[in-house]
Order: sequence, then structure tokens, then C-alpha cells
Amino acid sequence: MEFDRRAMLGAAAAGVFAVPAWAQAPGATARQRTINAMMTDEPAHLNYPLFNTRIMQEICGNINESLLRFDWQFKPHPNLARAFEMSPDGMAYTFHLRPDVRWHDGVPFTARDVAFSCGVMLPQLNPRSRNAFSHVRAIKVIDRYTVRFDMKQPFNAFLLSLMASSAPMMPAHIFEGTNFRTNPYNFKPVGTGPFKFNRWARGQFIHLTRNAHYWRPGQPGMDGIYYRVCPTPEQRLVAMESGAVDFAMADDIDTVVNSRMMANPNVVARNDAFNGTGEITVMEMNHRRWPFSDRRFRAAFMHAIDRDFLVKAINFGLGKVATGPIPSNLPYYDEKALVKYPFDQARARALLDEMGLKPGRGGVRHRFAIMMIPDGGGHWTRGAHYAKQALSEVGLDVELQSTDWPTFSRRSGNWDFDVDCNSYGQYGDPAIGTARFFLSSNIRKGVPQSNIQGYNNPEVDALFHKAAVAVDSAEIQKHYSRLQHVLTRDVAMCWMFERQPMFFYNKRLKDVITGPNGPADGFGSVRLA
Amino acid sequence: MRHFLRMFLSRPIPLAGLVIFAVIVALALLAPLLFARGPFTIVGMPLLPPGAPGLLVGSDVLGRDMAVGLAYGARISLLVGITSTLGAVGIGVLLGAVAGYYGGWLDDLLMRVTEFFQIIPSFVLLMVLVAFLQPSLSSTVIGIALVTWPQVARVVRGEFLSLRSREFVQAARTLGMGDARIIFTQVLPNALPPIIVVGSMMVGSAILTESALSFLGLGDPNLLSWGSMIGGSRSAMWVAWWTTVLPGVAIMVTVLALNFIGDGLNDALNPRRRR
Amino acid sequence: MNRLSYIGARLLKTVLITVAVVLLSFFLVRLAPGDTATVMAGQAGFADEAFMKSLRAEYGLDQPVPVQLWKYLSAVAQGDLGSSFVRRQPVVDVILERLPNTLLLNAFALLVAIAGGVAMGMMAARRPGSVTDASMTVLSMVFYAMPQFWLGMMAMLMFSVWLGWLPPFGLETMGADYTGLARIGDIAVHMVLPGVTLALYFMASYARLTRTAMIEVADQDFVKTARAKGISEGQVARRHILRNALIPLITFAGLQSAILVGGSVLVENVFSWPGVGTLAYEAVTTRDNPLLLGIFIVTAVLVSLFNLVTDIAYSIADPRVELGR
Repeated sequence: MEFDRRAMLGAAAAGVFAVPAWAQAPGATARQRTINAMMTDEPAHLNYPLFNTRIMQEICGNINESLLRFDWQFKPHPNLARAFEMSPDGMAYTFHLRPDVRWHDGVPFTARDVAFSCGVMLPQLNPRSRNAFSHVRAIKVIDRYTVRFDMKQPFNAFLLSLMASSAPMMPAHIFEGTNFRTNPYNFKPVGTGPFKFNRWARGQFIHLTRNAHYWRPGQPGMDGIYYRVCPTPEQRLVAMESGAVDFAMADDIDTVVNSRMMANPNVVARNDAFNGTGEITVMEMNHRRWPFSDRRFRAAFMHAIDRDFLVKAINFGLGKVATGPIPSNLPYYDEKALVKYPFDQARARALLDEMGLKPGRGGVRHRFAIMMIPDGGGHWTRGAHYAKQALSEVGLDVELQSTDWPTFSRRSGNWDFDVDCNSYGQYGDPAIGTARFFLSSNIRKGVPQSNIQGYNNPEVDALFHKAAVAVDSAEIQKHYSRLQHVLTRDVAMCWMFERQPMFFYNKRLKDVITGPNGPADGFGSVRLA
Repeated sequence: MRHFLRMFLSRPIPLAGLVIFAVIVALALLAPLLFARGPFTIVGMPLLPPGAPGLLVGSDVLGRDMAVGLAYGARISLLVGITSTLGAVGIGVLLGAVAGYYGGWLDDLLMRVTEFFQIIPSFVLLMVLVAFLQPSLSSTVIGIALVTWPQVARVVRGEFLSLRSREFVQAARTLGMGDARIIFTQVLPNALPPIIVVGSMMVGSAILTESALSFLGLGDPNLLSWGSMIGGSRSAMWVAWWTTVLPGVAIMVTVLALNFIGDGLNDALNPRRRR
Repeated sequence: MNRLSYIGARLLKTVLITVAVVLLSFFLVRLAPGDTATVMAGQAGFADEAFMKSLRAEYGLDQPVPVQLWKYLSAVAQGDLGSSFVRRQPVVDVILERLPNTLLLNAFALLVAIAGGVAMGMMAARRPGSVTDASMTVLSMVFYAMPQFWLGMMAMLMFSVWLGWLPPFGLETMGADYTGLARIGDIAVHMVLPGVTLALYFMASYARLTRTAMIEVADQDFVKTARAKGISEGQVARRHILRNALIPLITFAGLQSAILVGGSVLVENVFSWPGVGTLAYEAVTTRDNPLLLGIFIVTAVLVSLFNLVTDIAYSIADPRVELGR
């Protein structure tokens, strides 16, 4: 969906679109068939499973591909696998590989690569893949182009866990038997994708060139991609406005100036490029500590915050109020099952009164701290500042704590916090991205991004398990509906808003975003408009 | 003393500094009386320009009244500037006095330590300290004091080195006065003028350092400081100039006033520079 | 003391100070909470015990601190500063990649500051107490009172956004891939805003030093003699007064060398200048301890060497100065 530009124009500040002399992109004609993208910071290496961040997905998505590709409805389609089938009992998945795919160095892509990637390299390096492939009992190479996954038990999210960013195929002939962390090919990656690695000028750019022997006919549509280092948000805005770069994704452009971007006639704005991630901004509470252990306190917290204002004013309209654990645009979302917490400060006060948290000196009922995530003053920080104000109106006195990444991860992993700001991605299926925050088996001290709240509900554990192993889709939906009810009834987490990070691209290009994985699916389809 | 005051107030620059400084202090102290709402209260839509209804100088990225923020920001700047300088002067005087008075290996050790501080990029050191202490008002103050005391120590040491062999010190010693008493009642009063001058200049630079830390997001998030106002609206600079221009002007005027005062003190206390 | 043995003694002192720097900063950087493994887990958004354990093992963070220290010290003694945790490249390479950018920017800023400051100081000193003098003093104090990062932002707002004269960010034009002279010109244009921003701050100090020194020297006998000989005012100022005012200037420039090498975190940050300052900021916020230690060590060594050079320059500017005092 293209973003409604007119709606935003009203809010747009008076930007002057005359491009000054210093910002004219040089040599425009020679660069026509080259994509210029940007990186907020340079990755350490280009080993996709070793460090799976958004910038890695945007670069390596062009190099390392997955067996399947997903459409806007999250239905699987052939990619490196030309066909695939599930056994009726859900205990085996068979993939038939394309016989015409070659790695960038000319070696054919075969079942051995699949077995190596999914059986060895991905589970060893990437926690998200490790979770998905833990349901697999064995990977059998049937013949050169056929591979079968035998499951320990049915796992209906299995196909979705083969989304590009979770399960990129890695070359066995390069990595097998080596130290994955120090392999020299981490700096000159080899894949099967539409673009291949060419050059890395440290501190400046990474350059990919077209893969002339790409298996998908008619792709890639462009000659190459430059990823240029652009460390500050102001610099990225200028680079995008001047046309020096063609893409700006997610948090590249601060939401404050999004309106200016959207009013720019040379730029196409998309808010669906990261649907596959399904990111929800949340506040997590330490359920080991009182009063956060009390459901009424968590409900009061939700009632006290005007999340509509949070989205409209603080986040400049980019997103949607979150109503529960599953993002509203992803499979299994069930609005009818949800217990809702509308903005109602009187209700919040009543709940706090009921708990015995009466106003004391200066009208303060309780003091606690919100630990902020280090986002350089972005939407999280602004949201926390707003929450502090809103909570003070119901007598909750908040101390904001700013952190850097090491401090944040360490303190949240060690349960050393009252309330924190965070967000999680569902990555298609609740069993992949959402369950980990609520399963009692995932309460693991020292591990950030686990169930750090200490939420423990046997019914929820059981429901997540039943939902993941069910084969019948109606049954799956039944369990997930019940889950959404229980989790929202418990206020198992304070869901703030569903983020819809923007993806901007220069209108000289087209076919940039073709599925919910957005830039993580690579830029093979991109061509001149 | 009267001579000093006449000297100080007769020149226009220190006088101007004093007047401006008095206004800023008044603004900081009276902020809760001048404005009904606190600096964090959201009063409207974000990024409203100066002159919008009820907003003298506009609103910031969160829709807060910039005027209130500017007034409350003065409190943080002054508080950090003065307390961290007092801390640095305290440490510097103590260590500088001991080193200068006793000399020998103590002096050597102190000189090596001050050299260490000259050699390490002090702002990076400060960032490490603040990361270790966790960003808050007290860690800003402690951090600034810890990286700036060597400047004071060097000055104090120099003064003590030259004063310790003077006759009045010898006399005190023959009278049987203890070292501590000599240091604090005999030598220190004579070494005060340069300490005052250094201290007055340090308040201004501490305010600048605080604003830099807050700008990078290493300040106390519960307090609105001029530096954090600039840092928080960094991206908005391109669409709303007032969010970054005004807090910067506030910092500049404050530091300028302090430096004017320091300059006047220097002239009044250091007869050699009087011209 | 003769010059050679003096240099020897200073070099020894440099080594000792460097060892102290290594030891102190080794423990200092470990005081901060969290480590690189927690950073990566946080940024990746997914983590489990195996992930954290393998990262810590790779970086040697699972070993006892004395073992880590011993390993680090023996490596440094052999000239090996280790590998950056985050960038997975040798620390020396990472720093050497950035150091030229910082040196270039700061050398340029230093030259502008000295040239501008001396000019302002001379103008002010010509007639002490005049309106020119007062306005020069106030002007230099205004520059001295501005937060550098803010001055940079304002310069950017005015010259890049409103007037469109100068590029606001980076070392060179993105994607231009210039070579040869065109590249040098491109970098020079990019250097103007950050360079002048840095320079204006120091200019105040140089102006003040020049003014004071010139007024003091102007009263001394040899200057009076020169004037009596009928040498023109301009020549007196250049040949006699300025030469004597040089000494405090050199001293000050020497003191500034830590900034020269370490880079200005803030100005580099505001202008996205790929220098040592931005690198140090990254190293602190990602707990990239080997990188941060490496920056401290390289800075310490270079600053000590710069100080040595200024000391020698000192003795050349004024033969009365004895080395080693």
C-alpha cells in the first residue's frame, strides 16, 4: 500500500525542495542503473546467520536466499525449492530444489547445502533459527535435489520459519568444517542471490554487482547496489532528499521529519515493507516485583496512557494502537478474543485505589523506574517521556533511566528493572517471534530478549504448545484466539503500538517492495520506473 | 577588598556579566512561579513555531512549551556548573596543596597523574565514567569533577611551590604550627586569587561539558537541560529551527556572562594584567 | 642536559606513561556494566544462552580478569593491539583508517585557529583599551562560550541549509568516487565547516594569548630600542614582538595536541566526520574494549611525541629555554 501522501501534507513542515549545489548527485547518467542504498552503521562482516540485524537483512537478502518466498498473505511460494509438500500428519516436509541454481562461484546448489545450512550452520549461529529447527528430528538428503525434514512433532510454523531472514541458505563447500566465526568468506560472502559481493571499502561503502547467471529469468533489473555509510539521521535525510541515495528504510529517517519526506514528490513512501516482522512496541514489567506482579496495576498502567495520542502525536501517525500480543495484520489475530484497555484515567485511579495504592504526599501513589532503550532520542525515548507525563496524572511518579545497549541488555537479562521499553517482532507466526516472551520455559536469567518479565502461566504454556503442534487450521486458530484472550486478560505485557516503519524509495525505481519481507527479500525485482 | 570591588565593577564587561548572570539565576529560581506547568508537560502538538497561541517561543518535538524548558534548563546548567566546579576545586586544592607543600615523591606522583589526564582524551574518559556510573545528575557532576580537577591541582601546586619557602611560612613553622594548619591558614589564603580565577572560568566550561553530555543522550533523562533540548530535537533542526537555536543561545549567554565575570576577577586579582 | 639524552629520557617516560594508561584504562573500561555480547544480543533482538556463551568465548570474556590482562599486556608488548569486538578487524587497522581523517581536520583547524587568533590578537594589541580591542575581546569570548556541537549545527543550518554553499556531512561527496585533484578539492570543501567550527573555539585562546604576550613584550627594552632605531611599527610587531609572543603560543599548541590526535567527539559526530572521535564514541557505547584501549594507547603515544616535538620547537624559538627543566 502506498502511503496516502495528501493526508500527511497538512502536517508537513514548510520544506524547501530546491536542492542546493552541494547536494546535487554527481554523474547521474552513469549511475542510472545502480541502486544507492545506505547503512546507519557498517556491519562487522557479511555472514548472514552470524549477526541477524536489519541492515544485514537488507544487504545479505540480495546474496543469500531462502528455500521459500512469502506473499502478502504469508502463503509460501517456491524460491530455491521449486516444489514442496508436507506429509498429512505434519511429521515430514519434503523440498524439491531447482536444479539450475549455482553459487556465485559456479558450484551447483544442492541438497547438501540445505542439510548443512538448516542442520549445522543456522542452528549453531542464529538463536531464531535454533528455535525453529529444534523441532526437526533429522534432515535427510534423498537425492542431489531432494531433501526431507523429519519432525519430532508437528510444527505448523515450520514453513514460515523458512522466511528469508530466518533461514538463508549458506554454501556448504565454503563453510563446512571451518570456524564459522573466522572464515575469510565472512568478508566476501558467496550466495545464490541476484547480486553478488564485489567490494567493501571500509568506512565508505559495500558494493554488490549483478549476478549474470541468476536463476530467476529477467532478474536482476539493475547493475549493482552501493550501500553507503550514513551515520547520522540528518545526513540520511539530506542524502535521500538530494537523490544521493535511493532507499531509506525503517529508522534511517527520524519520524520527526517523516512528514517532510512524505511531502517530497520524488519519493515513494511505503508503510508495509516490514509487515513480515510485525513489530510491536511494548513496555515490559518485572513481574517478580510488587506492584507489577498485580494484574490490576498493569491494567491501570494501560488505562492511564493515551496510546492513540502516542501514535498520532508522539509517533507522527506512523503505526496503530496495539491491542494484544499478535499484530493486527498477521495470521491468527482475533479481535473478538481481546480484552481491551482504552484510555480512561478515572478507571486507572480506581484500580490503584482498589489495590491500596492511595495518593500520598504530593498526590504520589507509587514511585518506580522506566528503563529506556537506547534509540538516540527516537520514538521509544519520546514515548517514555510521554508515558512519564501520563502516569503522573494518575499519581504514578516515574524515574526515567537512560541506558546504552550494554547496560540495557545486561539489566533486562538479569531482571534488574521495574519497567522497560522494548519491542518484539512476530516474524510471521506467533510460535516464532511471540511465544518466547511468554513461555515459562523461556525465563532464563542472563539472556536478554527472553521472557524477562517472569510471566508464568501454565495455561499459556500449554496453549502455545497445542497451537504449535496442531495440524488442523481451525484448531490452531482456536488455540491462538484463547491465547490472545488469556494474555490480554492478564495484561501479560503492556502493548503500546504496532510500528509501521516507513520505507522510502526514489520514484525513479519501481518493484522495490514485493512482499511482506520488504528489503529482506532482496532487490532482484527492482527496475527503472 | 573595597579596592577589588571598585576595580571589578568599574569596567563594563565584568559588570555586564554580573547583570546577565543575576538575571539567569533569577529566572532559574523563579521558574516554578513564572510558569504554572512543569517543563515536561505536553501542552499541544509538536513543533509549533514561536508565536503560536500561548507559546512564546514554540513547542518542541513532544509538544512541550520551549519557554518553560528554557527556564528550567537554567537550573540544571547552573547546578552542574557550580557543584562540579566546587568538587574539582576541592580535590584539586587538596592534592595540589599537599604535592606543592611537601614536594618529593608526592609531587612527582601528582604530576604523573595530571599528565595522564592531559594525555587521555578527557571527553572520552568522561563518557566511560558516565557509562559506568549510569547517566544521572550526580554522575554528570562527579564525572566532570573527576576529569577537571588536575587543572586546579596544577595551579595550586605551582602557588604552593613558590609560597612554601617564603618567610611567613618559615615563621609559622618556627612557632610550632602543624603542617595542616600552615597549609590552610597561612599558605592557602595567599594562593586564593588564582584559584578563584581558574574556578570562575571552570564553571562556564563545566556548563559546556554538561550540555555536550546531554546532547549525546548521556545526561539525566528526568531533568530537562539545554543540552538535552538540543540533542532531543537534533533531527527536527531541518524543519523547526527554534528547537535547536534557542537552547544554544541560552547556553552561550550564560557561559559568556560567567567568562566576563571571570575576566573581571582575573584583572582585579592579578595586578600584573591590569592595563 | 644535552638534547639527545633528554630525548632518551622523555621516550622512557612515554613508555612508562603508556603502561600506566594501559593498566588504568584496562580496569576502567571493565567497570562499565554489560559487555559486547550483551550489545549484540540486544541488537539482534533474539538471544539464548548458547549465543551469549559462544560470543563470550570468542572474545575471551569468559576468562578470569587477570588472565585477560596478562594476555592483553603480552600482546601489546609485541605491538599487537588485538581485534575489535564489533568490527572483527585488527584494532591497529581500524584506528589507522580513521587517524588520517582526524589529523587532517585538526591540523587544518589548528592552522585556521592560529592564523585567525594571532591576527585578532595583533589587532587588539595595537591600541589596548580601544574599541577594536574591546570588540575583539568580546568576539573571541563569544566563540569561546558556544557549545562546539551547537556552533557546528548552526553553521550547518546557515551555510548548508539556508545558503546552500557548503556540504554539511562527511569526508567526501557520497557516490561521487572522485579521484586525484577533484577528490582533494572535494575533501577540502567538506572540511570547511567542521574545521572552522573547531577553529573558532581555539581562536579565542590564541587571540587572548597573542594580545597579552604582545602587550607585555611591547614594553620591554629591546622593543623600545628597536622603535628608537626608527624601525617601522609593522616591522617591530612582526620581527620582535611576535617572535617573543610565539612561546606561549607553542606551549598552548602543545597542550592541544591531545585534542589534535584524539579528535573532537562532538564536532566529528555532528558533521559525520569519519575520525577517531566518532570511533571512540562507538567504542564506548558498544563496549568494544580492545578498540577503546587501542585508541587510548595510540593517543597517549602520539601526544607524548607531540609534546616532545613542541618542547624542541620551544628551545629553537627561544634559545634561552633549557631542555629538561
